[in-house]
Amino acid sequence: MVQLLSSDNETFTVDKQVAERSILIKNMLEDVGESDAPIPLPNVTAKILKKVIDWCEHHRSDPVSQQEEVNDRKRLTEIDEWDQKFMEVDQETLFEIILAANYLDIKPLLDIGCKTVANMIKGKSPEEIRRTFNIVNDFTPEEEAQIRKENEWAEDR
Amino acid sequence: MTQQIPLPSTNDLEATWKFLEDGIDQIYNRLEEGLTHARFMNLYTVVYNYCTSSRIQTGQYSTDLQNHQAQRGASLMGSDLYNRLIKYLEDHLAAIRLESEQYMDESLLHYYTKQWKKFTVASSYVHHVFSYLNRHWVKREIEEGRKNDVFEVYTLALVSWKRHMFKYVHHNVNEAVLKLIERQRNGEYIETSLIKSIVESFVSLGLDDNDASKLSLDVYKNWFEAPFVEATEVYYKTESEKFISENSIPDYMKKAENRLAEEEARVQMYLHPTTHQPLISKCETVLVKNHAEVIWEEFQNLLNYDKQEDLHRMYSLLARIPDGLNPLRSRFELHVKKAGLSAIEKIAEQEGETVEPKTYVDALLEVHRKYNELVQTAFSGEAGFVASLDKACREFVNRNKVCKTSTSKSPELLARFCDSLLKKSAKNPEENELEDVLNGTVRRLEMFFQVANNFHTNLDVRKMTVFKYVEDKDVFQKFYSKMLAKRLVNGSSASDDAEASMISKLKEACGYEYTSKLQRMFTDMSLSKELNDNFKERMQQGHDPSDLNDFNILVLSAGSWPLTAPTTAFNIPEDVVKTYDRFQKFYQSKHSGRKLNWLFQLSKAELKATCFKASKTGYTLQVSAYQMGILLQYNNGDTYTFEELRDVTNLALEAIIPALSILVKAKILLLSNGTKVGESGSKYSLNTDFKSKKIKINLNMQMKTEQKVESDETHKTIEEDRKLLMQAAIVRIMKTRKAMKHVTLMDEVITQLQSRFKPRIPDIKKCIDILLEKEYIERVEGQKDMFSYVA
Repeated sequence: MVQLLSSDNETFTVDKQVAERSILIKNMLEDVGESDAPIPLPNVTAKILKKVIDWCEHHRSDPVSQQEEVNDRKRLTEIDEWDQKFMEVDQETLFEIILAANYLDIKPLLDIGCKTVANMIKGKSPEEIRRTFNIVNDFTPEEEAQIRKENEWAEDR
Repeated sequence: MTQQIPLPSTNDLEATWKFLEDGIDQIYNRLEEGLTHARFMNLYTVVYNYCTSSRIQTGQYSTDLQNHQAQRGASLMGSDLYNRLIKYLEDHLAAIRLESEQYMDESLLHYYTKQWKKFTVASSYVHHVFSYLNRHWVKREIEEGRKNDVFEVYTLALVSWKRHMFKYVHHNVNEAVLKLIERQRNGEYIETSLIKSIVESFVSLGLDDNDASKLSLDVYKNWFEAPFVEATEVYYKTESEKFISENSIPDYMKKAENRLAEEEARVQMYLHPTTHQPLISKCETVLVKNHAEVIWEEFQNLLNYDKQEDLHRMYSLLARIPDGLNPLRSRFELHVKKAGLSAIEKIAEQEGETVEPKTYVDALLEVHRKYNELVQTAFSGEAGFVASLDKACREFVNRNKVCKTSTSKSPELLARFCDSLLKKSAKNPEENELEDVLNGTVRRLEMFFQVANNFHTNLDVRKMTVFKYVEDKDVFQKFYSKMLAKRLVNGSSASDDAEASMISKLKEACGYEYTSKLQRMFTDMSLSKELNDNFKERMQQGHDPSDLNDFNILVLSAGSWPLTAPTTAFNIPEDVVKTYDRFQKFYQSKHSGRKLNWLFQLSKAELKATCFKASKTGYTLQVSAYQMGILLQYNNGDTYTFEELRDVTNLALEAIIPALSILVKAKILLLSNGTKVGESGSKYSLNTDFKSKKIKINLNMQMKTEQKVESDETHKTIEEDRKLLMQAAIVRIMKTRKAMKHVTLMDEVITQLQSRFKPRIPDIKKCIDILLEKEYIERVEGQKDMFSYVA
């Protein structure tokens, strides 16, 4: 068993196998060795760490794929059902999960997070995207027209 | 409860580096103090925070569209950390190098390996601490190929070691290693793990400058292997030259063998596996190739004294170098040939003109067995030596003292040897063993098919061994079929199974055509058996039993059997003429138009004789048909003159004299009025005082002189047959080719007939002349040595 300490000083006790879904923790345990001392994770709050641990528990025995994702259109945006449910969280939590996955080096989780965001953008107009992510439009109308013109080739016909 | 400690501000490079340097320094210099989870995580987090710190800034500017592309790369932070790490490694390694200067030789090796191990372990820690940098900044740098000297952190560490440490010390390190290896070669005990670590270090430093992920062996090959192989050459050159001048060749070979084994073990123990090839091939050159001549010279000596172990050693050593075995193979061939010839010479001296087939074949086999065994053990059954053995055997089997110049003597003796094995009552001295031999024959024949390569114990297979080398296989065939005919006619074959296996083995060796006649002989035998049964049945239906003789006949097709009609006339005695007529009639009714030639010279009879006083029940005399013709006359009188007997039997002199001689010699008949059988006026009277311990007396024996005549005749018919075979071959070839040069025609004839015999050039020429005369072929006008086929 391994103890994880969140930035807000909450301790989580998890199976080593679960913790090692994080390549960071895996490498560290290999180098430093195991001990009873908790592993501090200064960049992850208890709330997010709990979510991440949930995900790792569920995926504890997934094969660790070393291969790069296949460049397959379907694979790019498809998320399995459990993960979809898992990602049904408010936007802030979603972004924090993504940050944590990046920090802890959990590539599959990072991928799912990014896919979820990609799906939120997919098929939306710039205005809708701005609304979705609460972005203030700081382009002048001229600038915007210019960008549209430059990127015309990418538009759906 | 562990508390989080405050970390440096995310975008403060100086504070960040200070925090990191402290940790890195601990990892490189004081790792034995241990590293806590918290410390590790904090170091990682500081790297992470610094690398992600730009994110906030990117949001703030970059509305400038023109600069958008350039900023995407710049937005990843990391180069400052990376450069500081480079500097740290350089300083760290400079210190290690400085300290190394106080060490030499073995102590240098200890220092180097200790530092190397410490450094690589620490570097892998640091690699992980900087893993966020690796994953993002380094990855991006490498992908965009902006600079090609950006590496992942662990690789960076190795590159630094190579640049700031290895470059300055490798020469001394390598010298120390070579010294250590030399000491081991001199028999000292050394710490091999030291060398193993150095080798591993050299191999790890083989970094491809263009692609750090690829490992090349350049460093190891250039800075270690090349000087090492060179040192090896010098060492063994000196050693082998000294050793060979002070010791015998067999001792040197042992030494060389040991040295080669040692070097192979050395590669296994502490060198990179790719060194095996250059090292061993260098050793082979220095230890074997450079001394090949003196080693070859020793070969004859070892053969003479049958030093199998040394021979094997010599074989394995020379097998390592190109063309090392060739001189041995030719010398071996010569040696075996000599051994074969002298073995035969010995027999020829002991036995003179008439060599016993068994002695002869046994002598051939013994030479073959001995050297075949040597080939199998000392030369590992290597194909080249097998070929040399074959060539030598072919020579001495076909051309030796007994054969003189005729290659047909060997096949004759071999055929006679086969006959003696397959005959029921051979004149074998070891009579009690006979049955075993015969039983064994069948079993061994069967074994032959299962174990085609087992030459050693198998009597019949050994017989085939000699057969393999016989060049004139047609001679063998002639004699074999003659003797087979005799065995079958006389019913003296030991076992049908053995005969059949022998035939099928010959078929395997020489093809269907070679044995088809032999096989037809067996068919005739079984047909005759049926015929006899039919005849007997018919006779019993129409005649009184007292009127019948016990009669048995073989009807044999003239084409398949090597038998000739009798050269003498013969009056069939009255007592059997009735049976003769009856069978003649019976056969004609079955197969009208067939002509029966009676081979009386091969016929035999049993006579029940009650005329002798010594036995009340009488004797049974086993006699030839001619002897029967003579003896039956004594039913009518007691004494006849030679002329009377000749007239009444109508036998020619060369038939009646041998027949009579045996009767006289056996004292059945008494010679008077003369000293020699066949003298005119000599008289022969029945000896009623004849006495014998046996009740059955065999008088049907062949005289020695007859055998000799027969053998000469066989040789003569072989010559005739060969002429026909050659002519047939020429016609066959010319028919397909239409026109052909003299020389190519010769070659073709020789290849076609090789499996049967080796045609001599003058004989082929003679046959061509005959065919020209008969107008089967003609000379092409205007062209020299050119023939064409006449359709």
